[in-house]
Amino acid sequence: MQQCYDVAVIGAGHAGCEAANATAKMGFKTLLLTINFNNIAFMPCNPSVGGPGKGNLVREVDALGGLIGRNTDRAHLQMRALNTNKGPAVRALRAQADKHLYQQLMQNYLEQQPLITIRQGEVVALDPAKNHWRITLSTGLKYEVLAVVIATGTFLRGKVHIGGLSFPSGPQGQHPAIAFGEFLEAQGIKFKRFKTGTPARVRKRSLNFAVMAEQPGDQLEHGFSYWLRWNPREPVSCWLTYTNEKTHEIIRRNLHLAPMYCGAITGVGTRYCPAIENKVVNFPQRERHQVFIEPEGLNTDEMYIAGLSSSLPEEIQDQFIRTVPGLEKVEIVRPGYAIEYDVIAPEQLTTSLQIRGWPGVFSAGQLNGTSGYEEAAAQGIMAGINAGLYLKGEQPFVLHRNEAYIGVLIDDLITKENNEPYRVMTSRAEFRLSLRQDNADLRLTEYGHRFNLISNEEYDRFQAKRQRIAEKLSYLEQNQITPGSEAAQALQDAVGVTVQQRMSLKQLLKMPAVKVSALWALFAPEQIFTLEDEVVENYIKYEGYLEREAKMAARLAKMEEKKIPEDFDYTVVPNLSFIAREKLSKLRPATIGQAGRISGVSPADLNTLLIWLTRSGRR
Amino acid sequence: MKITETIAAIATPPGEGGIGIIRISGDEALMVGRKVLRHLSGKPIASWPERKVRLGYVVTAAGEIVDEVIYFYFKKNRSYTGEDVLEIQGHGGYQNLKKIMTIIFEAGARLAEPGEFTKRAFLNGRLDLAQAEAVIDLIRARTDLAQQVAMKQLQGTLSTVIKEQENRLLALLVPIEAALDFPEDEISTPERASALEEVRKVRLTLEEILAQADQGIILRDAATVVIVGRPNVGKSSLLNQLLGEERAIVTPIPGTTRDFVSEVIDLEGVPVRLIDTAGIRPIEDPVEKVGVEKARHLMEEADLIITLFDAATPLTQEDYALIKFLQEKNPLVVLNKTDLPVKLSVETLKAAFPQSKLRSISALQGEGVQELKGVIRAELIGAGGREEQPVLVTKVRHKEALTEAVEVLIQVEQGIEEQGSEDLIAVNLRAALEALGRITGRSVAEEIIEEIFSQFCIGK
Repeated sequence: MQQCYDVAVIGAGHAGCEAANATAKMGFKTLLLTINFNNIAFMPCNPSVGGPGKGNLVREVDALGGLIGRNTDRAHLQMRALNTNKGPAVRALRAQADKHLYQQLMQNYLEQQPLITIRQGEVVALDPAKNHWRITLSTGLKYEVLAVVIATGTFLRGKVHIGGLSFPSGPQGQHPAIAFGEFLEAQGIKFKRFKTGTPARVRKRSLNFAVMAEQPGDQLEHGFSYWLRWNPREPVSCWLTYTNEKTHEIIRRNLHLAPMYCGAITGVGTRYCPAIENKVVNFPQRERHQVFIEPEGLNTDEMYIAGLSSSLPEEIQDQFIRTVPGLEKVEIVRPGYAIEYDVIAPEQLTTSLQIRGWPGVFSAGQLNGTSGYEEAAAQGIMAGINAGLYLKGEQPFVLHRNEAYIGVLIDDLITKENNEPYRVMTSRAEFRLSLRQDNADLRLTEYGHRFNLISNEEYDRFQAKRQRIAEKLSYLEQNQITPGSEAAQALQDAVGVTVQQRMSLKQLLKMPAVKVSALWALFAPEQIFTLEDEVVENYIKYEGYLEREAKMAARLAKMEEKKIPEDFDYTVVPNLSFIAREKLSKLRPATIGQAGRISGVSPADLNTLLIWLTRSGRR
Repeated sequence: MKITETIAAIATPPGEGGIGIIRISGDEALMVGRKVLRHLSGKPIASWPERKVRLGYVVTAAGEIVDEVIYFYFKKNRSYTGEDVLEIQGHGGYQNLKKIMTIIFEAGARLAEPGEFTKRAFLNGRLDLAQAEAVIDLIRARTDLAQQVAMKQLQGTLSTVIKEQENRLLALLVPIEAALDFPEDEISTPERASALEEVRKVRLTLEEILAQADQGIILRDAATVVIVGRPNVGKSSLLNQLLGEERAIVTPIPGTTRDFVSEVIDLEGVPVRLIDTAGIRPIEDPVEKVGVEKARHLMEEADLIITLFDAATPLTQEDYALIKFLQEKNPLVVLNKTDLPVKLSVETLKAAFPQSKLRSISALQGEGVQELKGVIRAELIGAGGREEQPVLVTKVRHKEALTEAVEVLIQVEQGIEEQGSEDLIAVNLRAALEALGRITGRSVAEEIIEEIFSQFCIGK
């Protein structure tokens, strides 16, 4: 028996859910395959979404019509606004999510989509057939599909390590996808091995919160989603405590039992989410490390002990956790572990996340070498949209570095040979002031609507908002304030700013002390609306910087216009340095701009390449 | 494959010499050779063995023998430029070589631009970019001092100094970036006061380098000095005096000789292009309008204007027009013919040009000329001797990059002083690093991230 679908999405994690939603919204009959129906949108690590850079990604996916923002808003346990005083480029929301609620809501949503069929099953083969792909499950069941998104996360040949113990496994004891990894490798896909890890989960009632610092959520005016009415839930606190010399001593004494230090793990781990054993080894001068105790959900007693990720043997984990104040009587529910898994070597990916030489097959998420739910969701929606465009016979959708963190992420993935799981950071973005979390809809919703991921109703709301922003900006430009006037006096009283000369409200707003909310309060109380005001204020206060970034973006665009033919032969270009030739031949950048971002390609190499391309173009 | 234009140039230094070498490069080098060379028997040359010395005649199109020469042929991919190259060694002497060149041009080659052989060598993979740039700079370095600067830059003096500044900025930026990206980690950022101090130090260092930049740029590109004055005021005599014994050092590089009004001299190590505006007078005569426009343009472009007056004649209408024209241009004023009875006093000129330096000379007698040279040099590159001047920046794009870095660092300082937000401080520090990276070729984006992880224990 064979069944036909337009698209199959392999894996129902954070990338797979977004991809399936995108193709379904674009009108394609979508099959969502998951190895375990109970674990759709599962969060195997921190129950946390957002933060600097990551929060921007959530907003961007939301602006395109994706799911992670809405779902987090609905399932949050607490929200915090980070970096509030450090400037608009780095302001960020971070949510603690109720893991179980998150999964349940996501599953319910997907089940309601008429074009999505969810099916539990382990894929073991993906074969090209005449004009389509044939998917085979371990049970022998076959599907015929026209396009595929592979989003297998850490499941592909997953291997879990706890101390000296290691066994094939997906995250948190799930069934791994061994056969599919072997199949893809046999078909010529090149993999590398990455490693990630997670701390033990502990029982809430075994902890002593009295000796920890409480971290309550913030009272916020809005959540992540541009579309969902913000409905704050009763905030649940996190707790902060610290390791100490005793903790470190136990870890140091048992290092020989850690798979990473005894050579059992060959995969490369992350530096921004290190195991406690790495922290102790790499930063011996630190007397303590932070430990955040985070609730996993409202309907569970399980708590996450962020900062104590470890793959030491269970009894050692038990020993060192007990040295942390408040955790003396800890009851471990599940031990921490490290997991190794297959990652697609990036040179096999194009900017649309298609696998080279596999027409219609895209890959997304942790399989591509990222870490984080947000990074996975971002790639998922892009791979989904591009699978849809492939089916329509249209040009792929590629976001540039100046348009979105999504663009930065994918561009980095394919031009930089990351040797650790990739995490988005604001310091990776050259256009930080343009890629703010307050304007993601202004940057991307137009696209989302074009691909039908944003409904007409949502789009109308968006247009109305855009219109109001324009009106506010012109109001501020056109209205002036005169020294000695009543308005000037009111301003003096309210914010202590003296108006020295006649100026527009816009000029006034450029003064650091003046906030747009203060101007509305004084002059136009009917104008107040929080989210828009953030956009308006940032636009005016950072106008000069935004112009600078726009100029830079124009320069970049010029470099991006210079295309390099897909089959370009770098061996014929004389003078390219050895390393540049190797890297370029391997990563096959689509444009000169991308070539320039490949490490090892020097400006001299780029010049040589440019001259050569210009010459061969003239011929 | 597109046929590249075939180029030719005299490869040996000008002046009298035993032999003179002419190089021809391009797809049609052999075709040119067939036209201009003959066997000693007078027959056309049929075979062109590679890298073999042959004897022959250079002949005109009419078959008239011009010179007896030896020639070599270098085949494509095995020559300096990577193209077909024909090298002809004729008898030295400018007139003879010029005549051979004329015949070669008639046979279809064109005069090579300065550095064009090297450019082709680069394009054809015979040199890498860094080598090519260095060779071109060395070719273009017109005098000893300029050559020293080019050598020094090759050795990386500028890069070394700039890299130190980059490191200092990077050290400041990394903790700031780390704290922005990981707000929930324990990261200590630098105190505002010490950060301010550090940024200021870097900015001052860059400004110091910039202050010497104009001098460096002049050394590479030759400063332009325009001499203006009404006819018979002694412009030619002054020009000859300035050229004087330096004339032998003048390097008439092919391509520059087409500029009739200019001569390049070595003024105590500073390459100076002297432009005599003979026949161009800045007066409002319709007939001379074009000339006036040209003079204006030249003066606007000039690094220094020398205006000449005749001490033996009271100011004429034309002189007054010139004085009016030169107001605000701050020329170097020279009173010539002081050997004759004085009709025009230094005081009169001082009143006319209160801001300007003024020197008296007798171009005819050579009096005051040596002193004038010193003044010209000082006006162009400052008064210091060459030893104590660390000459660093010799490229306009380097100067632009430095200027940009200084500008954004000033913004960083303001940001720190005015308690501005950290994201802007980070953005501006990066902009400064990006600008400096255009000089050193260093891209710090990856380094920042590497440093964040190596310096700070980050992550839950």
